[in-house]
Amino acid sequence: MYKRILAAVNEFTNSEIAARYATALAKSSQAKLSLVFVAEDKLNRDAFRHAENALERLFMDAQEQDIEVESITEKGSPFEKISDIVRKGRIDIVFTATRREDIEKRYFTKTLAREFMLKLPCSVAMARIVRMARTHPKNILVPLRGQMTHLEERGCFAARLAEVFNASVTLFHLSNPITSFFHGEIHLKPAQRDKRIPRDIEQFTECLYRYQIRHEKKTGYGAVSRSITIEAAHKRNDLIIMGASERTLLRSIVSGNPVEEVLRETPSNLIILKPRLEHL
Amino acid sequence: MKIQSLSEAEVLRTLVTSDKGLSHEDAQRRLNEYGLNEIKDVRKKPLYLKLVSQFIHFLAILLWIAAALSFLSDYLHPGESMFTLGFAIIAVIFINAVFTFIQENRAEKAVEALKKMLPFYVKVFRDGNEKEIHAREVVPGDVFLLNEGDKIPADSRLIDASELKVNNAPLTGESEPVLRDPRAFDGELIESANILFAGTTVISGSGKAVAFATGMTTEFGRIAHLTSAVEAGRSPLQKEITRATRLVATIASAVGLTFFVLGFLIGRNFWDNFIFAIGITVALIPEGMLPTMTLSLAMGSQRMAKRKALIKTLTSVETLGAVTVICTDKTGTLTQNKMAVTKLWVNDKIVDVKDLYLYKDKIYELLRIASHCNNARFMDGQYKGEPTEVALLKAVREALGDLKSERIKEIPFDSERKRMTTVNLIEGKVFVFTKGATEGLLPLCSHLLMNGEKAPADEDLRKNVIDASHAMMDMGLRVLSFAFREIESINNISMVKGADIENNMVFAGLIGLEDPPRPEVPEAIKKCTEAGIKVIMITGDGSRTAGSIAREIGLIKGAPVVVEGHGFNQMSDTELRAKLLEKEVIFARMTPKDKMRIVSILKDEGEIVAVTGDGVNDAPALKKADIGIAMGMSGADVAKEASDMILLDDNFATIVNAVEEGRTVYENIRKFITYIFASNIPEAVPYLAYILFKIPLPLTIIQILAVDLGTDMLPALALGAEKPTPGVMKKPPRKLGEKLLDMPVITRAYLFLGPIEAIACMFGFFWVLNNGGWIWGVMLHPNDMLYLQATTACFTAIIITQTANVFACRSSKESVFSIGIFSNRLIFYGIMAELLLQMFIVYHPFGNRIFGTAPLGPDVWLILIPFSILLLAAEELRKVYVRKHEVK
Repeated sequence: MYKRILAAVNEFTNSEIAARYATALAKSSQAKLSLVFVAEDKLNRDAFRHAENALERLFMDAQEQDIEVESITEKGSPFEKISDIVRKGRIDIVFTATRREDIEKRYFTKTLAREFMLKLPCSVAMARIVRMARTHPKNILVPLRGQMTHLEERGCFAARLAEVFNASVTLFHLSNPITSFFHGEIHLKPAQRDKRIPRDIEQFTECLYRYQIRHEKKTGYGAVSRSITIEAAHKRNDLIIMGASERTLLRSIVSGNPVEEVLRETPSNLIILKPRLEHL
Repeated sequence: MKIQSLSEAEVLRTLVTSDKGLSHEDAQRRLNEYGLNEIKDVRKKPLYLKLVSQFIHFLAILLWIAAALSFLSDYLHPGESMFTLGFAIIAVIFINAVFTFIQENRAEKAVEALKKMLPFYVKVFRDGNEKEIHAREVVPGDVFLLNEGDKIPADSRLIDASELKVNNAPLTGESEPVLRDPRAFDGELIESANILFAGTTVISGSGKAVAFATGMTTEFGRIAHLTSAVEAGRSPLQKEITRATRLVATIASAVGLTFFVLGFLIGRNFWDNFIFAIGITVALIPEGMLPTMTLSLAMGSQRMAKRKALIKTLTSVETLGAVTVICTDKTGTLTQNKMAVTKLWVNDKIVDVKDLYLYKDKIYELLRIASHCNNARFMDGQYKGEPTEVALLKAVREALGDLKSERIKEIPFDSERKRMTTVNLIEGKVFVFTKGATEGLLPLCSHLLMNGEKAPADEDLRKNVIDASHAMMDMGLRVLSFAFREIESINNISMVKGADIENNMVFAGLIGLEDPPRPEVPEAIKKCTEAGIKVIMITGDGSRTAGSIAREIGLIKGAPVVVEGHGFNQMSDTELRAKLLEKEVIFARMTPKDKMRIVSILKDEGEIVAVTGDGVNDAPALKKADIGIAMGMSGADVAKEASDMILLDDNFATIVNAVEEGRTVYENIRKFITYIFASNIPEAVPYLAYILFKIPLPLTIIQILAVDLGTDMLPALALGAEKPTPGVMKKPPRKLGEKLLDMPVITRAYLFLGPIEAIACMFGFFWVLNNGGWIWGVMLHPNDMLYLQATTACFTAIIITQTANVFACRSSKESVFSIGIFSNRLIFYGIMAELLLQMFIVYHPFGNRIFGTAPLGPDVWLILIPFSILLLAAEELRKVYVRKHEVK
C-alpha cells in the first residue's frame, strides 16, 4: 500500500507523537520512512535543538524496529520544502501534527494544515495529539458516512494501524435523522438504524476482514461531531480516524463543519485522513 | 503499550521528559500545544440563541405575521383598534417565549462543580528545581511531588512512593483510601495502583509522579466532557407541545385563509375579510396554553418538593409520569445503609447474632480479627467510620467489650485485592489479621479454625466455607471472611507487601452483615409493578446478595437475568440489549461508570429512563437519562448539578411518589387543555357568523385575548392542581405515540363543549341586539352602545359557560359529583378570580375602554346562566354514556 511515508517533525512534542503513528504505519506497511524537520527562519536555538532531538529519537526508534528510515533537516518554508520532498521522493502519505492555530482558526483558513491538506499531491494524515500517553491504541473509532471516496485506502489505513497495535475497530455510522413537521425528529431504534447503513461501507469492512481486525459496527444519532466525541469519551477510544472534510467554505459556514468540530473537542487522539492514492 | 504497564524509564521516555521535570521553555511549548490544565464546558448553543429560537418557531412566526398585518391594517385603515391588537399579539409572543424558555432551560453548573475539585497551586520540577505554579499551567511531562493533603492536578503516573494513599472517591465512589504503588501494572488504567487521577486527594504518605494527561483529557475531564456534552434530548412534553402548537397553528392559519377566500367569493370587502382572517387565527390559537402549562408544571414541582423530590427542570415534572424504566442503586436507596451484623459462621454452623453469648469462646478469634483489622473507632459515645466496619466493631464491643492491640502495619483494602490486612502486636506476639471476600481469602488459608483448634483446610472444609458463604449471601447478607496467622518478629516492616504475609493463614469464619431494606420500598416496588414500570437494580454488591435483597423487596419473583461487572464489560451492546429486554434484570458488582451504557441502550430502545446516582462518576448517566435523580443526603455536588431531580431523603419510595405526581400532572394538563380548547369554539363561531351571515362582529379580537390570557388562566391552573385519580398508578406508562392533543380531547372540546358555549354566546349577542331594536343586515358602528353591549353579552356568555366547563373538565369520565364538588378548592378561587376580572371588564370604565365593552343589565346574566347548567348537565350525561360504554 504505502511505499514511502513522510513524517513532518517540528519543535512541538505533538509532532513527535504524531510521527510515532507514521513509524507504526511504516512498520506495518514495510515502507520507507522519511523524518523531515524544516526549520523556519524565525525558529530560535532552543526550539531548533528540541526538534533535532525529537528527530534523533524517532530515527533511533525506527532503526530499532528495522524500518528503512532517513532523517532530513531543511531550512525554509515547511510547506514548500515538504512539497518538494514529496514530489521528488514520490511520497505516498505525509503525517503531520496540528498546531494551535489549526484548532483556533475556523475552517483552517490560511493554516499550514490546510495547505498540506489541499495542495500536497499525496495522501495526508493530520494528527491531533491530546493524549501523549495513548499512542498505542487498543480501540480505534472510525466514523463513516455514505458515498465516500477512496474507500479502499481509508479501510486499509485504519486496518494497518489497527494491525500494528493489535487494536479493535469500531465503525461508527451516523444516519441523518428522520423528521416530520408535526412529530419533529422520529426516534429510530438501533435495528432500524442498522438498515440505513450505506452499502459502500462494506468495502471498508472488507479491508478489516483482510487484515483480520476485530471490529464492530455501531450506529448513532444526533449532531455528528457531538455524537462522535461522546462515543469516543464514553467508550474510551484511544484514537479516532476520520476523513477530511469535503465541505466547501460556504457550506461549512452555513451548516457547520463536523470535522473541524471534532478536531476542537476530541477527547482522544485524532487522525484526519485526506486520501489521495489512486492505486493501492 | 499502556502508561501503567511501563517502567519508570519508559514512562519518562514516552512523555519526553526526565525525573528532573521539564525545562521552562519546553513547558511553555507544551502549554501552547496542549492548552491549560482546566475543565471546560463543551461548546453549546448559547442561552441567548435558545431564547431567540422561542421567537422564531412556527407559531411565533405566524403571530409575528398577524401582528405585522395588524399594524399595516391600522396604518391603512385607522380606527379599527388594530394597533392595540398588534401590540396584544406581540405581548402573546413574548409571554409564550418567556414561559417556554423558563420551562425548558435551567442553569447547568455540573462542570462548575467539577472545576472546584481541582487544586489551585501545585509544586512541580522545572529546570530541575521545585517551583510552585498555578495548577492550570501543569502540562504533560511535568514531574511533581506529593504529600499528605495535596490535591492531584492531572492524571499522572507514579514513579516513586512511600506509603502513599489516595482517596479516589470522586472517580470510583469508594470512600476508603487506597494504597498506591509505583510498580508497573498490566491491567486497566482505572484499576492501576500506579496511576493518580486529577481531582483526587492524597490522604497520607508521599510520592513523585509525572503528569501524562491534563485538562479535558484526564479522567475527570472525560466525565466533564460527557456531563457537558451528553443531552437527554427533548422531553416527551416538549415534543408534544411542539406538535400541538404546530397542529393548532396550521389549523388556525388554514381556517383563516379558507374563509378569507370564501369572504371574497361571497362579496365581503377586503378589510372585513382581513379583520376576519386575523380574528379567526387568533381565536383558534390557545394563547394561554403555554403560560398555563408552565405555571401548572411549577405548581407540580412545588407539590413534589413537599413530597421530598426537588425538581430542577420544569418539564421533568411531566417526564416522570412517562417513565418506563427506573435504574436504581441499592445501598441507601432501596436499603437503609445501616449495616448490622446478623449472622456468623463458625464451627460449620451459621449462628444468629443474638445467640452469640452461647458461642462466646468459639467465636473469640473471629471477633478479635473483626476488631483489630478495622479502622472504625468508638469515640465520645459514637461510632465513627465506614458503615461495614462500624457494624463489625459494634458487634465485637457488644459481645466482648473493647479489645486492645498495637497496630504496626496496614495494607489497606483495595478493590483489586478485595481484602484488608493489618499486623498487630498483642501481648508481645505478632499477628496478621485479614478480612475480605471469601473467594480471595480462602485460597490464602492452609487451615481452618474448628472448636478452637486448627484443622487442615481440605477440599471438604473449603467447600463447606463456600457453601456457607453462599447460604448467607442468599439471605441478602454482605459476607466477609476472616483469617489470621501468628508470625515471628518482623523486620523492616515498612517494606512488607501483602504477598509476604498473606499466606499460610488460618480461616476463622464468616460474618454476614445486613443492610435492611427501607420499610416503604416493597410497597413502592409493588406500585411500580402495577404501574408497568420496570425497576432495574444496579449495585456494587455480589449477585447473590443483590438477588436476595431484590427478592425480599419484591423486585424479582422468578429467575432474573443477573449481569455481573466482568461479564458486563465483555458483552457487546447487542448482547446487553437482549439482556435488558428481559423482564427481571439485576446488575451486580457494577461501578458507576457502567450506568451510562445501560441508560444509553435503554434509551436507544425507546424507553423513558430514570436513573439514580450520587457520585461524580454518575454525572454523565444522570445527564443522559430522561430523569437523572441525585441523592440529596449522600450525593456529591456534581451529581446534584447534573440531575433533573434531587431526592431529599435518598429514598426509592420518593421516586415512585414523584412518578405518581408526574402522571397526575399529565392527566391535569389534558384536563386544562380540554378546558382551554373548548373556549376556542365560541371564540371562532362569531367570526364565521360574521363572514357568512353579514352580521356585526359578535366578539372582538381583544375580547378573545381577554378570555385566553385573562379569565381562563386561573381556573385552568386550578385544574392543573387536581389530585391524582385512584387508578393513576394502576395503568401502564403512556405510550410514546400517545398524543397530548388526541382525538378524544379534540372531539370533546371542539365538537361537544365548544358548540354549547358557542350557542350561548351567539344567543347572548342576538338577545341584546334584538332587545335594542336591531334589524338584520344593519351593520353597527364599533362605538355604538348597542353593539358594545351585544359583544359584551357574547363575551360574558363565554365566561359563564366556562365556569361550568371548569367543573366538567375535572374528569373525562367520572361525575363531578362523585369526585366531590369541593375536593379542589382552587377551582372556586379560580372562578372567583375569573368573575372579578369579568366584572372589571364589563363594569369598570377602564375595562370598558380597553376591551370595547359596556355594562350589562341583570337580565342578560339571567338568560345566560341556564346555558352553564345545560353544559354541565350535558356533560354529566355524556359521562354516564362513556362509563356505560366502557363497562360494556
